[in-house]
Amino acid sequence: MYDDSVLSLRRLAVAGLAAVVGWGCSSETPRDTTQVRVGLRFDYPTPNELIAPPTLAYAAINNQLFLSLMEEQGDFRAGPPAWAASLAEGWEFSDDRLQLTVRLSPDAKWSDGRPVTAEDVRFTWLAQTDASIAWSYAQYKGAIVDVEVIDSHTARFHFNADLPTALADVSTGTILPRHAWEPRPFGEWRSDPGWFFEHLVTNGPFRLESRTAGRELVLGRNPNHLEPELPRLERVILRAVPDSTALTNQLLAGELDFAYGITAADANRIDGRPGLRLTAYSNRQYTFVVWNTRKQWFEDAATRRALALAIDRQAIVDTIWHGYAEVGSSPIISGVWAHDPELEPWPHDPAAARTALAEAGWIDNDGDGILERGGVPFRFELATYIGASARWDAVQMIQADLSAVGVDAQPRRVDANALNSRLQEQDFDAAASGFAIDTSLDFRPLFHSEEVGGLNWAAYANPELDRLIDSFANRPDPLAGRDDLHRLQRILHDDQPILVLWESMSLAAFDEELESVAPNALSPLVNLKEWAWRESGWRPPPSSS
Amino acid sequence: MGLARVRLAAAAVLFLIVLTLTFAAVTLAPGDPLAPTDPRIPPEQAERLRALYGLDQPLPAQYLRWLGAVALSWDWGQSYQTGRPAADLLLESLPPTLLLAGSALLAQYVLGIGLGLLAARRPNSWLDLGVRAASLLVYALPTFWVGLMAVLVLGVGLGLAPTGGMTSAAAFELGPLATVLDVLAHLWLPALVLGLSMAGDIARYTRTSLIEFQSTEAGRAARARGLSDTRILLVHGLSHAGPRLVQMAAVSAPLLLSGAIVAEAVFSWPGMGSTTLQAIQARDVPVVLAATAYGAVLVIAASLAADLLLARLDPRIVAE
Repeated sequence: MYDDSVLSLRRLAVAGLAAVVGWGCSSETPRDTTQVRVGLRFDYPTPNELIAPPTLAYAAINNQLFLSLMEEQGDFRAGPPAWAASLAEGWEFSDDRLQLTVRLSPDAKWSDGRPVTAEDVRFTWLAQTDASIAWSYAQYKGAIVDVEVIDSHTARFHFNADLPTALADVSTGTILPRHAWEPRPFGEWRSDPGWFFEHLVTNGPFRLESRTAGRELVLGRNPNHLEPELPRLERVILRAVPDSTALTNQLLAGELDFAYGITAADANRIDGRPGLRLTAYSNRQYTFVVWNTRKQWFEDAATRRALALAIDRQAIVDTIWHGYAEVGSSPIISGVWAHDPELEPWPHDPAAARTALAEAGWIDNDGDGILERGGVPFRFELATYIGASARWDAVQMIQADLSAVGVDAQPRRVDANALNSRLQEQDFDAAASGFAIDTSLDFRPLFHSEEVGGLNWAAYANPELDRLIDSFANRPDPLAGRDDLHRLQRILHDDQPILVLWESMSLAAFDEELESVAPNALSPLVNLKEWAWRESGWRPPPSSS
Repeated sequence: MGLARVRLAAAAVLFLIVLTLTFAAVTLAPGDPLAPTDPRIPPEQAERLRALYGLDQPLPAQYLRWLGAVALSWDWGQSYQTGRPAADLLLESLPPTLLLAGSALLAQYVLGIGLGLLAARRPNSWLDLGVRAASLLVYALPTFWVGLMAVLVLGVGLGLAPTGGMTSAAAFELGPLATVLDVLAHLWLPALVLGLSMAGDIARYTRTSLIEFQSTEAGRAARARGLSDTRILLVHGLSHAGPRLVQMAAVSAPLLLSGAIVAEAVFSWPGMGSTTLQAIQARDVPVVLAATAYGAVLVIAASLAADLLLARLDPRIVAE
């Protein structure tokens, strides 16, 4: 009797296990061509971007729900970014360029069917500039002194100066629904970010269908979107995958159709895999070593140039990025219109580096293998962030390269917040860090002498560079400032307050049956509304233009 | 009841110490958790946020205000990253962690006791030697490595289990039974991986205890009554080993919780471990503090429960 019951339990357990494992194996179901499963690392705590984390992934998702007045275009090679119509169907500057009149598209509607109006535009500007909301990008609205409602579909922006960035300033941030969110006072917006989920209407191609906090968002087609033939997909399922290896695994196992945030190390697991396509694209980011010019080792440009010659950046890029990055020569990266194409990265030339160091007064007098100048050994700390594995690998390779010319760089990993504080306070020797280039090409925060204590971590000061930065910022036509920017790059190349290590690329991978997928530096999901499955045979509806 | 009161009082003091030390460690660590990482964001923005979150106050004032809010309304503050109440974030991720840790506990006991029984039936046989060697091996292997290999081989390679997450995409469309099956399909592999390391310990203890039992008077009496080996070991032998096995559950609670952080990262399991790891990386102080507190409560509660259960199983404990 006892043994019988044990046997029955065993059978039950085996049957249960078979059912569970069988369910786990049942991924070979026919593809649903109305939807796509996207994996990326994200957090979407609120649909209100003014109180949300200022991350690329957040913006990539939020821009599917909300539109800006104009849409920045992704090609920066030919010139400054162009602006395409979005909620605004047209705009014009006054003769003095201190007023910008924007006409909203009459087809622009919220997902509840109400029109997007100029009142929404003004409400958005008021919220963006409200001190209690403390929006991360409020400074872009600093030159806008008022937004006037001309009529329900016309708004006029008033500026306090003629700025080349006026269109960018107006288009930074999406338009918010006044009728849905005005009932909540601005002062209470930050206290309950979840409130906005309960009062959510959208004007973008998608609306929010469901949400499981921290795990999944399901976007559904917005039938009131101003382009009625788009999106082509009925539904997009966004899965939060915080770990890049897990992301690759889920893609390989067929649990995802698109994955963004693939690492170079994982790329070879995907590249060439039948049914999957890997795409690499510039993310406008560059990684560099910043030398603290207030420290005795880095106070002269000749020494900094010598260090550039001593470091084999090509080997670093080849080893770490497996072809998905290139050696950089300038903070204006090579895919941007203002990049100086004649600027060549300093070559790897240890012999020339030794000579240059000797000419700068760095000699190994005591024979210990480390150079000295004025009795000070060339020994310094080279810091980078905990968790930044590529930079840590690079730092160790730099240590080896510098050691070969008699310079003792001592790698150290520091908590990101702690290192950023130390960088701003010039409490460091040298550090590996990175930035994404801003298409406004405003280099004031990074290199202007008045920004020491801010992001001018090198404490670099050059009057000619200051003048060039100021001059470019005041040009109404950025293209006319190309020569200024070329000169700026030449100065930075010669003075080397930072050594640009590499221009990296972002990697995304997707099912090859998915068409029109074109991630770019603006967003991995930039044209999500155009994605479709090849086999779905999608055609625009007859009514579409 | 006396034992329960003493244990509860000790647990409360321990909890306060854990909270205070964690607050000190997190807030005194160098760096500014609100410093903007995007160069386009001006430093004044951090100042505004600092004022909003009360970080412009002196540290003792911050501590007292924080402790008061926790004690009076269980308010752990707002996450710096998401703006959401830290307690809500943790409460959302607590059930998945309890499910994973509970399943891992079950897996480690089922496996450990099962293997211990097998080994005890034929001491010093090849099977016994194999079980002992395997239990040492799984104890020595790091959970993250076992997890990664399990994902690669069983998930990506053989397709026997999903490689990550707690449910399939758009699982909200599934019916109740399908949802349960879907969660179980995602659960079994991480639970097994997490449970494996402690299963070895339990197998070794069960084996030793059962072999000992067979040579006791009670063991010999059971055999003399003609009971089968299986029944002697399963019913009488395990009763003999029970109190110690319960104690081992209490010991494994903190290990399971710390192991869950690793397992959740490898399997993208949306639990407290993942939330805590992301909060630590982002220096999201309120969430780190709340996570530490929730972890401490779980561990203290598990120890307390084990103590009380042990006292019930073995009344001599109360007398001591």
